[in-house]
Order: sequence, then C-alpha cells, then structure tokens
Amino acid sequence: MMALLEIKNLSIDYLTRNGTVKAVDDISFSVEARDSIGLVGESGCGKSTTGTAILGLLPPNARVSGSILFKGRDLLKISNEELRKVRGKDISMIFQDPMTSLDPIMRIRDHFFELLRAHYPKMDENEMKKISSEALKSVGIEPSRLNNYPFEFSGGMRQRTMIALAIALQPSMLIADEPTTSLDVVIQEQILEVLRDLKKTKNMSMVLITHDLGVVAELVNKVVVMYAGHLAESGDVYSIYEKPLHPYTKALLESIPNVKLEDRELRYIPGSLPDLKNPPKGCRYWPRCPYVKDICKRETPPTVEVDGRKVKCWLYGGEINAGIDKTSSAVS
Amino acid sequence: MKTYILTRILLAIPMILIILTIIFFVLRILPGNPVMALLGPKAPPEVVKAMEHQMGLDKPIIVQYGDYLGSILKGDFGVSAYTGVTVIQELMQKFPATLELTIFAMTIAVFIGIFFGTYGAYHFGRTLDIAARVYSIFVYSFPVFWFGIMLQLIFGVWLHWLPVSGRSSPFMIPNHIYTGLYVIDSILNLEWPVLVDTLYHLILPSVTLGVVISSIFVRMVRSNVILSLSSQYVVAARARGAKEKKVIFKHALKNAMAPILTIMGLEFALLLGGAVLTEVTFSWPGIGSYLVTRITYRDFPAIQGAIVFFAMFVAIVSILVDIANAWLDPRVRY
Repeated sequence: MMALLEIKNLSIDYLTRNGTVKAVDDISFSVEARDSIGLVGESGCGKSTTGTAILGLLPPNARVSGSILFKGRDLLKISNEELRKVRGKDISMIFQDPMTSLDPIMRIRDHFFELLRAHYPKMDENEMKKISSEALKSVGIEPSRLNNYPFEFSGGMRQRTMIALAIALQPSMLIADEPTTSLDVVIQEQILEVLRDLKKTKNMSMVLITHDLGVVAELVNKVVVMYAGHLAESGDVYSIYEKPLHPYTKALLESIPNVKLEDRELRYIPGSLPDLKNPPKGCRYWPRCPYVKDICKRETPPTVEVDGRKVKCWLYGGEINAGIDKTSSAVS
Repeated sequence: MKTYILTRILLAIPMILIILTIIFFVLRILPGNPVMALLGPKAPPEVVKAMEHQMGLDKPIIVQYGDYLGSILKGDFGVSAYTGVTVIQELMQKFPATLELTIFAMTIAVFIGIFFGTYGAYHFGRTLDIAARVYSIFVYSFPVFWFGIMLQLIFGVWLHWLPVSGRSSPFMIPNHIYTGLYVIDSILNLEWPVLVDTLYHLILPSVTLGVVISSIFVRMVRSNVILSLSSQYVVAARARGAKEKKVIFKHALKNAMAPILTIMGLEFALLLGGAVLTEVTFSWPGIGSYLVTRITYRDFPAIQGAIVFFAMFVAIVSILVDIANAWLDPRVRY
C-alpha cells in the first residue's frame, strides 16, 4: 500500500543576502495512514522548515527540491490553486504561537466560516454554524464562544481553537508545529490531551514537530531525528528510546532532565549547531561527536538500515570504501 | 465610548483657544493692519484714526482680544474688515468648495495609497514594489503648486481637455443649493450637464492634491501591510486554504488599517495646507483662496476665523478617526 505522505530527497535552501542557508538537506521519510510521527531536533535543525514545506507555506526566499507525495500526488508540482484546496481540508496545520495565529480583529466564527467557504463556497450558514460548533465542542470550548474575538480567549483556548479549525473538515493529516512550546505546563497537558483524544477518535495521521522528547514519547509511534538539516535517525519510537543508534540521538536523550537521576548537573550537548550557510564537510555532527573518525570529516555518511531503522552515521555499516551517499549527491 | 468622544471634544476646546490666541497676537505683532491695507499709505491721518476707531483697533489689545473671544462665543467670528459681513457667513459660503475638493483629493489619495501600497507590499522587493517606492519618493518631492501648474499646462493649455480654474463654468451652478457641494446638489436637482461640468472642474485640482498626498499613503500602507503579511495569522489563514485575495485584503490590509487610519488623521492638517496652495493655483473659491486673499488685505477677523475653522476641522477629523478605529478593531476600548 502507498504511504499517505512520502517525502523523498527533500532539500530546502533559503536565499539570503549573506548567502544560501541549507536548512534541509536531502531527507526522506514517509507517514502511513493513521501513523503519527515526531520530527525531533534542536532549534534550527530544519524540522519546522520541513513541516511548513509540506503545505507550501515557506517564505518566498525558500528553494525546495525533491518531492512531497501526498496520496501519490506531488505537492511540489501541483498548481497553487490545487495546493490551496489541500490546505485545511486534506492536510491542516497548527502553529507554535497561538497568541498570534488567530486574526485579532476577526471573530472566532469568521475564522471557521473562512475555512468552510474556502473549500465549500456554496455551504449555507446553518450548516457552517453546525460544523463550527461541533468542532469547537470537540476541543472542549462552548459553541457560544463562536461570537468572541481571539483577545477574549486565553492562550490554551486559542490553541484549542486552532486545533478545532484544523480538524473541522476531517483532514487525513495534521501537522503540529511545536503546538505546546509557548504554553505553560498545565495548558501543555490540556493540549496534549486534546491531541491524544483526536488520535483515538479520528482516523488522522499526525506529524508532530517538537524538541520535547517527552511529548513525542506520549503521542507518536515513529520518530525522525534531524540535525542541522540532515536526517540523523528515524524509526520506531520505542526502539529509538531504548537503544539510540546515532550519537546525536543518544546525546539528545541523555540531556532530558530527570528529577530522579542522581547527578545534580544538567547534561547537555557541548558545542552548538553549525553555520548552515557553511556547513562542515562530511557529517554535520562531527564537530560535536564524541565518536568522530577521520572519514566523518571528509564524507557525508550514507543512510543505512539497522534493525529496521534508518541511520546516517559512519558507525554503522558504512565502510570506508562504501563511497559517498548516492542519494545526496544526486540532489545537490 | 460616549464619554470618550465627549472628553475629546472638551479637550479640543483648549487646543483651539491656544491656536486662536497665537494667531490673534501674531497678526498684531506683524507689520501692517487692515486700515493701512484698505486706505493705502497716503491716507490722511484723521481718516485713518476714524477708521481704526470704527474697527476697534484703537482699544487696548487685551480688550480687543476679549471682544474677539466674545464674537467666537456668539458664533459670528467677528466682522470682516474688508467686506463688513460676519466671518462665519463668509466661511460657510466658502467651506463647501474646500470640502468637495478635499473629499475628492482624499478619495484619490486613499485609492492610490491602498492599491499601490498593498500590491507593493505583496510583491515585496520585486518590480511592482520598486515602482511603488519610486512613485512615492518622486511624487513626495513635487511642490503642490508646481504639480498643479504642470497639469494645467498639459491638460488645459496644450490638450484643451480640462478647465484650469474655478469650480464651474458660467451659468453652470446648481439651480437650488442644498449642501453647497455642487456634485451632490446637481444630482439632487437632476441637472446632469451641471454635474458633468462640476466633475470636469474637479478633476485637475483634486488629482493635484490627491497625488501629492498619496505619496505618504503609499509608503504608509506598504510598510504596514508588509508587517501584517509577515504575521502568523496570515500564514495560518493560508494554511486553512483561504484564497490569496482574502488573505491580502481581509487579513493583511484590514489589520494594517488601524495604524494607517491614525496617521491619515494626522496627515489631514497637511492636506488642508495643500488645499490652500491647490485652491490658489486653480482659483478654487474655497477657504484656502479666501485666507490668502484676506492675508493681503490684513483682514484680521477673516484670517483668524479661517485658521480657527481649519483647526476645528482637524479636531473633528481626528475624533472621527478614533471612532473609525474603534469600529475597525474590537480590541480598542475607550
């Protein structure tokens, strides 16, 4: 069976005044129907760029190559109008900052009506009211609040409204771009509860973009770990948590603060993300990697399969003679 | 809201009083007075004295000031030294011409500003944006009167397409005056030739004033729309599948409108200044030409009256802008 979403050799560059930023470099992964995957990595690793690229919402200075197949259609090749029809109906998206995601001078109701009119121009008002009320109810907000303005809502309510908007038309996929990052812990839990609930009740796939590995463990069954625009490791969530293969995944998991742990110091990954205008040759993680070898500095590691997982590291299977990764050289 | 408007009106009173006081004393400090302007330098001293007495100019300045305040309170704004008619009567007669001109000019400026500004912002950094920026800088550097004269020269003198002066041709005045705005009056009277003639006369002066003012609007709209286009709710609207036209006009432009409106209100004083020059250039019989003529006659009550009238006009417009803002943005509470 065909995957619901298949991303193949996706590369994204941002053209800036000071040069080209290689935000995403040759990543591939797929999402099956009803799968939930987590796109994980530290800030600036390209995870949001990847998520935003799926709906074609990147700023105009972004250059995208590769393919994003949704139900077999390449979203990078279809016309703007066709892509518009996909947005909100087949794939919808929620964002990091709920405080600014709703138009401040538009009633909540009109946000829903805009969505419905964009996809069903002939829908009558009663029908629209019914759908909006139900969507709002499903995230635990009274339908009477439809007449409110966003400024009359709290941050958590706004994010729930965004979710209600995203699921109103029963899309087959939801992209959640750090949906809990800007909320406090209690509200975070509320939002996660809503998302968990949705996963159960609706047949929806989810792409969860986050740097919070705790959130990932709760919600998804597959994880894609990104580092500096490269896909470091991807696979089943439990096996990755149990036995991380890539040194970066390992370091990332070790840096989760744990109150029960004996050591009183926070663990962290020394060094910082490389400059993506001028990424290091070879593996992008080598300047911070404790297992660095000579080949890491010279050649980009190939993506190999280990125990049903994909990992891009010279530690696995990549013999020195294995040569340069074919897929990455084909794109660039 | 009601209390807010009331406070605003009450606050406008001291402002107008200050303007009135300044203009009153400045006029009396500057050389020249109405008597000298009317009678000329060779008039016999007895005649000058008699006339000064008649106009009350021989009284102490504080008494004159008190008399003038009284006339403002009475609502007649004093009596013109030049015509002997109350200033308010003259102003009310001239005001519709100025109002008609400013409304048309403002419409043109807003239209150009929103159109060029929004599309420039949308095409940020591309040809249309550069065109909009060049236009606004270019036009901003035009002196109003020079631009007016150029248009007169091209469309009036060379091409003979449009009239170059006045509000209407002889005998082309609406039969019955209701509002003083010839466009509205001629429609009410169903006098179509008069309407056409009025519009013909309106084109050049309102384009002159409108184009010059539009330069500021274009820049303002552009920068505000750029800002709102980059906000998260615009991306979110796109992610919902909203059509691009809706995204631009309903989300980006509408959100950008609040600061634009505020600045437009502030620019209104500038518009009136431009209106004075435009009226003189096109012999437009409004308050601007009136003011300039009366300055040459040192007609103190008339000059004071015109300026106080302008000040009131600006105050009223800024209150209207605040009301419009509250209507546009539900978060605004007064």
